Amino acid sequence: MVVYAADGDKEPQVPAETHVEGTPMGRDEVFGIIRERLADILEIEPSAISEGASFADDLNADSLALIELVEALEEELGERSVGFRFDDDDLDDLRSVRDAIDYVVSRLG
Amino acid sequence: MLPIAVDAMGGDNAPSEIVAGARLAADEGTPVLLVGRSDEMGDTGDLPVIEASEVIAMDAEAGSSVRRMKDSSLVRAAEAVRDGAASAMVSAGNTGATMASALLRMGRISGVSRPAIATLLPAPGTTPTVLLDAGANSECNPEWLVQFGQMGAVFARDRLGIAEPRVALLSIGEEAGKGNPLVKEAYKALDEAEFRQGSFIGNVEGRDLLTDAADVVVTDGFTGNVALKALEGSMKTLIGALLTSMTARPEAAEAADVLAPELDALYRQFHPDTYGGAMLLGVRGVCIISHGSTGATAMKNAIGIAAEMAEAGVVDHLAAAVAGTG
Repeated sequence: MVVYAADGDKEPQVPAETHVEGTPMGRDEVFGIIRERLADILEIEPSAISEGASFADDLNADSLALIELVEALEEELGERSVGFRFDDDDLDDLRSVRDAIDYVVSRLG
Repeated sequence: MLPIAVDAMGGDNAPSEIVAGARLAADEGTPVLLVGRSDEMGDTGDLPVIEASEVIAMDAEAGSSVRRMKDSSLVRAAEAVRDGAASAMVSAGNTGATMASALLRMGRISGVSRPAIATLLPAPGTTPTVLLDAGANSECNPEWLVQFGQMGAVFARDRLGIAEPRVALLSIGEEAGKGNPLVKEAYKALDEAEFRQGSFIGNVEGRDLLTDAADVVVTDGFTGNVALKALEGSMKTLIGALLTSMTARPEAAEAADVLAPELDALYRQFHPDTYGGAMLLGVRGVCIISHGSTGATAMKNAIGIAAEMAEAGVVDHLAAAVAGTG
């Protein structure tokens, strides 16, 4: 929406409360962010985290590590998409890195 | 120093005994602030209060409860430390949720793979033994146990004044090749690891925990918790049986009166209240976890330990030890 100043100046003004988003994030970019955050939490090399890796079986990530990941992603992705949040009822369904990527991509729309 | 943030709502005897303990600590000169529902705390004297409307139950699931109850006394206490309003936090509430609050709000010390709970075990005639991990991580890998050893050595130095702590690995035999696969791998890793304070001395067994065999004993959280609870239960049973036998006959009661001062000192050495609580090592702040049944005396002692550890700069020392520069 373009707003013009009251004095007739035709310069478009950005309303103060509008969150200007960047270009939509692709799947690869989401994977990169998740891998980086997860590597940081688990203290492992990012290269050790594949898209198909299971949190519990492959990465030894417990429920607390998953919550750390979720909160880190909310903080980072919240800057791109105001109000981005994981629904607590959905957390049990996030069993792999791929599940997390799919979830974030679908939420970012 | 900044006040110690006390979770006034955590524990079986909260808030009355927790507030009473906080007031005792404040009377002795330790600055304290209470966190929780002020309308339930009773007379808090002059102690400042941070309002927190929610309370995480003792049986609540740790991670999800911290996430869902953002205005809980536990979460607010951890945030007080994170935000520089408090120098440490103490809670007698849900142990898992206390850990989760500290981890999610204060954050992990850079380089620490997993925080661990370090508890003190009485060793008559000498300084207590530090046991970790006493229950934070059920399954571990060898690298985590090395860090537990490094952090435990720092804790032994700062908490107990042991200049060069002897760090041992809990196993089913003293020989290097004894133990399950984790213990065997951890032995090799500990043997090669760098300790800026102290050194790795090899394996110890369960029977060595209450002796001077080592200053720090490292194990995974499952084994550590089983060992701790077994010792607590054994001591309680033994003391109960001793008291019963001492009053069984008039002659025994007379002898007991003579022995009372020594027995009382020994009893206090073994009583959990004396130690106040365990410390969570590996988060960016001092976090003391007290027993759920903590009363006023134990809470006062826990607050004293929190203050002592904050003043000692233990978190900085832990960071240096894990980074290999301590």
